[in-house]
Amino acid sequence: MSGRYAFILAGGVGSRLCLLSERRAKPAVPFGGKYRIIDFTLSNCVNSGIYDVGVLTQYRPTSLNEHIGIGRPWDLDRTRGGIQLLQPAPGHSQTDWYQGTADAIYQNLMHLKRRRVDEVLILSGDHIYKMDYNVLFAFHRANRALLTVAVTEVPEDEVDQFGILETEANGRVTAFKEKPRGPVTSRMASMGVYLFDREALIRWLVEDANMPGSSHDFGKDLLPRLVARGEGVFAYRFPHYWQDVGTLDSYYAANLAFLDERPPLDLHDPGWVIHTQSADRPPVRFETGAKVRHSMITNGCVLGGEVVNSVLFPGVRVAPGAFVRDSIIMHDTVIGPGAVVDRAIIDKEAVVGAEARVGHGDEMAPNRACPEHLSSGLVVVGKRARLPEGIHIGRNARIGAQVVEADFTAPVPSGGVVDGPESMH
Amino acid sequence: MRNVMALILSGGGGERLGVLSAERAVSALPFGGKYRVIDFSLSNCCHSGLMNVGVLAQHAPASLNDHIGAGRPWDLDRRQGGVVILQPFQTRQHAGWYRGTADAITQNWDYLEERRPDRVLVLSGDHVYRMDYRALFLAHEQRGASVTLACTRVPNDQAYRFGMVTMDRGGRVRTLEEKPERTAATHANMGIYVFEFDVLREMLRSRPVDLVLDVLRPLVDAGERVYAHEFNGFWEDIGTVASYYRASMELVQAEPRLQLHDSRWPILTRDEERPAAVLGDDASVEGSLVANGCRIHGRVERSIVFPGVTVGHNAVVRDSVVMADVVIEPGARVERAILDKYARVGEGAIVGDGELAGPPELEWLAGLVLVGKDAWIPPGGRVERPAAIGVGGRYEDFKDGVVPSGKVVHNRRWFEELR
Repeated sequence: MSGRYAFILAGGVGSRLCLLSERRAKPAVPFGGKYRIIDFTLSNCVNSGIYDVGVLTQYRPTSLNEHIGIGRPWDLDRTRGGIQLLQPAPGHSQTDWYQGTADAIYQNLMHLKRRRVDEVLILSGDHIYKMDYNVLFAFHRANRALLTVAVTEVPEDEVDQFGILETEANGRVTAFKEKPRGPVTSRMASMGVYLFDREALIRWLVEDANMPGSSHDFGKDLLPRLVARGEGVFAYRFPHYWQDVGTLDSYYAANLAFLDERPPLDLHDPGWVIHTQSADRPPVRFETGAKVRHSMITNGCVLGGEVVNSVLFPGVRVAPGAFVRDSIIMHDTVIGPGAVVDRAIIDKEAVVGAEARVGHGDEMAPNRACPEHLSSGLVVVGKRARLPEGIHIGRNARIGAQVVEADFTAPVPSGGVVDGPESMH
Repeated sequence: MRNVMALILSGGGGERLGVLSAERAVSALPFGGKYRVIDFSLSNCCHSGLMNVGVLAQHAPASLNDHIGAGRPWDLDRRQGGVVILQPFQTRQHAGWYRGTADAITQNWDYLEERRPDRVLVLSGDHVYRMDYRALFLAHEQRGASVTLACTRVPNDQAYRFGMVTMDRGGRVRTLEEKPERTAATHANMGIYVFEFDVLREMLRSRPVDLVLDVLRPLVDAGERVYAHEFNGFWEDIGTVASYYRASMELVQAEPRLQLHDSRWPILTRDEERPAAVLGDDASVEGSLVANGCRIHGRVERSIVFPGVTVGHNAVVRDSVVMADVVIEPGARVERAILDKYARVGEGAIVGDGELAGPPELEWLAGLVLVGKDAWIPPGGRVERPAAIGVGGRYEDFKDGVVPSGKVVHNRRWFEELR
């Protein structure tokens, strides 16, 4: 059996995630109590027996580099194969910043040279799903396809966010429209999971690279062209849960869905473990007087107050008398005594002062800075922000990373913005 | 500290721990919601900068081999030094089990001779404590000692359980008493020793069996420079059900003397990948430790809950230790019990019922119910305190659904039933 190789596109800017991806790539955004979004794709690879993976990064790769390291949590620290971080590099006549997804792969074609593979799997590091790629390989081979695109059905009002495909009964793709506006006849969306015949991929990428006017993107350029030309493109319909956590609202909903009695994905399945980099943390400590229900809690937390319908990442501290409801609290954030946090997403290592009110009042003015992404009532607090004691923060507010107590001169109204220090970049 | 070799004595089978140590060494006993007992000594080594560690194993060594492996969690997977497990072995001339602590070291002397450390630190893998060994070495050096032992103050009525040490004002050891019925000594020997390499080698020539009786005491009697160094932190020797339970319950005190949530001195262990714990709508958890991978729908109070445990709706767990992947079905009640891995408590069953003291020969159970690995308690069944259900205990072991106070159900060996 020849080996198998996967590229994972992990350069996503994730601009609709607002503060969460301001200083990290979207695949590195924390998810589900202890994971990063990319863990699902990486775990799918190793659980499918693919132990040779290249991860393409570009936008703010530091947190991703740190997270992946040499790939040990996924058993990808191997002598043969393993994991390779592929960042754009200048200095070579062929390489530069990645222009689009197709260009990113084109610039890394040299990594295919010595690999004896018949097919190349190209994945996105942005999605939450559990998929056995072996099924995709079998479908691809049975159809003698040159390209197989995994697709999933999306709600009608979301089709304009995806690449939408139309197929014949046997799965052959007859039309591809990237983020179509106006009425469509199909709700089959590309999942960003592509299986290419190796030779065809190389041929098509070289062709696209030399095509003037192309933005060198799989969805915008390559796929529509191949389908229009009648190449052997097939759609594999994935029947299980798949979620693009592209917006703050979908991110929030997808996290909280794991609190349901029947969560969308079984994270406890010993046959399909989602692996991640975990620090050594002690078990969760529930103090006397703690009241915690309908929540996900991760090792290292110390809980003295009340927590309802929330997801707590490792090392979160909730002081006695504090109340956290309908919220997502990331690593090592401290909620002070008597503080109330209601419908908030708080990034890592933040401090909420005693008696503070985060997500306060009934007013629902959309956020001044990003009204299109922050209007459903959520409050977003950036990494290492320090909220002063007793502060009131209205809904749809955005508190920047590394804000300190002195940055607050008055209560923050609904839709308000408090910016932290400018990032050096 | 490249010139020190640490030897962790982990051979003990813990006869007084009953079913808990039936298939594992005491050092491999799960403790504190996700650790094994030996993690405390290994983490102490790691944080004290010790990088040469030998683990002397004898009883059920597979449990330790699996856990320690190449030593990665403690950064002991090294090209130079690192951790090695030293088991009894055969040579052309000789084959023998370890007869005692000193004998275990003697039998591995070739290994130490090759490494030629300046000093040997002898530890026990059965102790739960956080200690910076660098303080011990400093005291040892400052006094120019041949041997320094660590000691800790214990209540006089507990002296009968320990080796007791008396010393002069300068800390020099005067007498060593083994488990005295009456004594004026105030400090217990913790079984932690720093030996000058040459001093230890000289003493092992006479093939001693026991470190205290055959090595330390003769050294003290001969006027060698044997000193004691006082340790003030929490320390517990996990040799009995009572001490295991006491140390476990310390962790859920309001101000525990043994602190796990201290990022400057984390206890390191081999971690399995488990998702976050999920607490259901009706869950209530107080005064407890709960590890990743648990699904809690019932009530948990003053208990230690290991990874992957399920507590069903309306089930109650109180004052108990529940090891990994135990299932407590809806409506069950578990009180003052220690449940080993994969045990299952059926719907509505009661484990730890009643208030009877039990017969004197069951004093070792400390009034608790022990439930062995893989044991199943039938739905509606009842186990009175104190009692022990053996490894793999099953429905047939329950007459009329009840295991009465004072009963010990013996271990089942699943493969014997396959014939």
